[in-house]
Amino acid sequence: MSGQRVDVKVVMLGKEYVGKTSLVERYVHNRFLVGPYQNTIGAAFVAKVMSVGGRTVTLGIWDTAGSERYEAMSRIYYRGARAAIVCYDLTDSSSFQRAKFWVTELQNFEENCRIYLCGTKSDLLEEDRKKRGIDFHDVQDYADEIKAELFETSSKTGQSVDELFQKVAEDYVQLMAFQVMTEGEGVDLSQKNSTYFYSCCHH
Amino acid sequence: MAADVHKKKGWEVPNGSLVPTDGQPMERSESPTPGLVQGTEPGAGQEGGMFVHTRSYEDLTSPEDGDVASRSPEEGRGDQADQTSMAHISKDFSELSTQLTGMALDLEEEMRLSQENEMDLSPQTARRDSARSEKEDEDVTMEAWRMHQKHVFVLSEAGKPVYSRYGSEEALSSTMGVMMALVSFLEAEKNAIRSIHADGYKVVFVRRSPLVLVAMARTRQSEQEIAHELLYIYYQILSLVTWTQLNHIFQQKQNYDLRRLLAGSERITDNLLDLMARDPSFLMGAARSLPMAAGLRDTVSTCLQQAKAKSLVFSILLSRNQLVSLVRRKDQFLHPIDLHLLFNLISSSSSFREGEAWTPICLPKFNSSGFFHAHISYLEQDLCLLLVSTDREDFFTISDCKHRFQERLRKRGVSHALLEALRTPFYSVSQVGIPDLRHFIYKSKSSGLFTSPEIEAPYVSEEEKQRLLELYQYLHSRAHNSSRPLKNIYFTGPSENLLAWVTSAFELYMCYSPLGTKAAAVSAVNKLMKWIRREEDRLFILTPQTY
Ligand SMILES: Nc1nc2c(ncn2[C@@H]2O[C@H](COP(=O)(O)OP(=O)(O)OP(=O)(O)O)[C@@H](O)[C@H]2O)c(=O)[nH]1
Ligand SMILES: [Mg+2]
Repeated sequence: MSGQRVDVKVVMLGKEYVGKTSLVERYVHNRFLVGPYQNTIGAAFVAKVMSVGGRTVTLGIWDTAGSERYEAMSRIYYRGARAAIVCYDLTDSSSFQRAKFWVTELQNFEENCRIYLCGTKSDLLEEDRKKRGIDFHDVQDYADEIKAELFETSSKTGQSVDELFQKVAEDYVQLMAFQVMTEGEGVDLSQKNSTYFYSCCHH
Repeated sequence: MAADVHKKKGWEVPNGSLVPTDGQPMERSESPTPGLVQGTEPGAGQEGGMFVHTRSYEDLTSPEDGDVASRSPEEGRGDQADQTSMAHISKDFSELSTQLTGMALDLEEEMRLSQENEMDLSPQTARRDSARSEKEDEDVTMEAWRMHQKHVFVLSEAGKPVYSRYGSEEALSSTMGVMMALVSFLEAEKNAIRSIHADGYKVVFVRRSPLVLVAMARTRQSEQEIAHELLYIYYQILSLVTWTQLNHIFQQKQNYDLRRLLAGSERITDNLLDLMARDPSFLMGAARSLPMAAGLRDTVSTCLQQAKAKSLVFSILLSRNQLVSLVRRKDQFLHPIDLHLLFNLISSSSSFREGEAWTPICLPKFNSSGFFHAHISYLEQDLCLLLVSTDREDFFTISDCKHRFQERLRKRGVSHALLEALRTPFYSVSQVGIPDLRHFIYKSKSSGLFTSPEIEAPYVSEEEKQRLLELYQYLHSRAHNSSRPLKNIYFTGPSENLLAWVTSAFELYMCYSPLGTKAAAVSAVNKLMKWIRREEDRLFILTPQTY
């Protein structure tokens, strides 16, 4: 296991209780755990190997805790991330405000990080449309403005979860292809911060 | 409570030669109780322990910022066996709490007048005012709420609620106001501990600026022990935010709402309180080691030792709050309190069961000003690996240590044996071969470890188990009473007899059926000590390792 490669560092950000852990749980283990809510403590890391057009890509996913307690330390989790899945609860407008905070944070400190806005718990809207806490078009406008992809997912039903992570991986593969083209030959990408190794992460 | 208490003389010493031999080093011998010198008792590690040495919970009262503990003048003055070193105010607190609402100032004056040692809150001095605050939630006054064994509240010095064990802090805020009022006149000094002795209730206040912790308990614990638990709660909070940050925040803003920062941690604190009510580790100030063959443990420890990294300080392998192995940096010792906080953190959340957690954690007794980073992962269902690093950027290096450790276990072919050992985390007291013996706790002071058999019949229900622990707590408090400590106690109760023996090297608590005699109980001590000596390499960690 030692030295397992991670191609893309992905960080999950968002207010507590929005469903980040559930999203990762659905994607990695294809399940939805019912039972009392267990807030994440610090952050949890999990690696997932997937395939994009015949190529394997390993996502190294950081599921961070939404609690404010860890805010001051959040940089260690998102530093060097290629993708950030910024989550908000579709039924809770305050969580969208918190999402905006994270977007600003990323724009300031991680220019190279792609942002994926993710509205969670869409199954709750299925039950009752009135539960939507924030207008879809407002979010869409915001996403366009910050050049982010927008997804609405449900970890309960699985809706759009795989698509979200698939998109993250595809974007990475495309970006790599593009970089190889523009940077010419002889560039060892692993030296350029685009690839991380478990065993070589001293700074 | 009928306690047959002896203080040294009158105690039938099972072996005439067991008097402490001051400072005289002794060899580990075949003799069942080879002297009471620390370091030679059964369970003592061969190359010293793994923990900071703590004699008892007194250590808890030393503040973490390095200040000399400022104690109340009353401390150490009590002369009755039942009285602890704290000030008592005898009054039915449940009555008091309803009376005080809205008239705290009045009372404060009266309190000042009578501030000499033991304050007497007689009904005349505390004027009756039954009008309760409008805000107070109905639920809070309900009988069910009052029936709880122990209420715990944490508030800021400004009176803002921080934590409440039962019921929402919001609903309780007026109760908290009352407590704040009480605290403000009970407390002349910071870091003091005071208590109100009420009929059926003990209300204990611990002030650790900028926080005040309050317990209302109907348990049989002494004030000292309740204060001890409150301090654990305080350390628990520090472990999440650090002492430095906590003080900084409140210096900036006196009425800061700490709940914002602690959001999501209530479960950890709840769990700690539950754990303290049933796990003797906290009472003993020690860790319980998982029984396993010495050879197996040594191999596992070596594997753990070899999976080291520059930033690693402690590598801890545990199974359900029992220690399997602990490897530490040569010059660094872990404090049992810090270890308990780590155990509690892990047992309080199922979120560690997936993936690898990487979380900042302050070990307040080690260093209350900064965070370590802990890598937490489960290797098996009940086997958790905890790697404590000084470098928050070092996740992948530490994660690699985990993989290397697992790899080594596999190569050495011990993974399977380790899993087997996890399947039998307890032994039966019947193995000792003392018919009347129901249960015991034995702590080796130099190793900071204790051993204890499974709690068996008649302590089957949760209530019964808790009652047994309470009996131990009672004996412990008598044995450690700071004004009148007792070395030997024989306690006869209606349902069981207990014996406690506390020396500079070990502590022993034994529980017998009520049918046995005192003479038999005393002679059983010898037999048990012999058995523990024989089994010590399985029950304890005799060869702790360092990187
Ligand atoms: N109905 C529904 N509930 C969900 C969904 N996703 C999460 N939840 C629930 O929302 C609660 C919070 O989910 P988590 O995934 O633990 O939230 P989190 O964002 O990881 O929270 P923190 O770790 O505290 O930051 C849990 O009770 C979940 O069961 C969803 O898609 N549908
Ligand atoms: Mg989470």
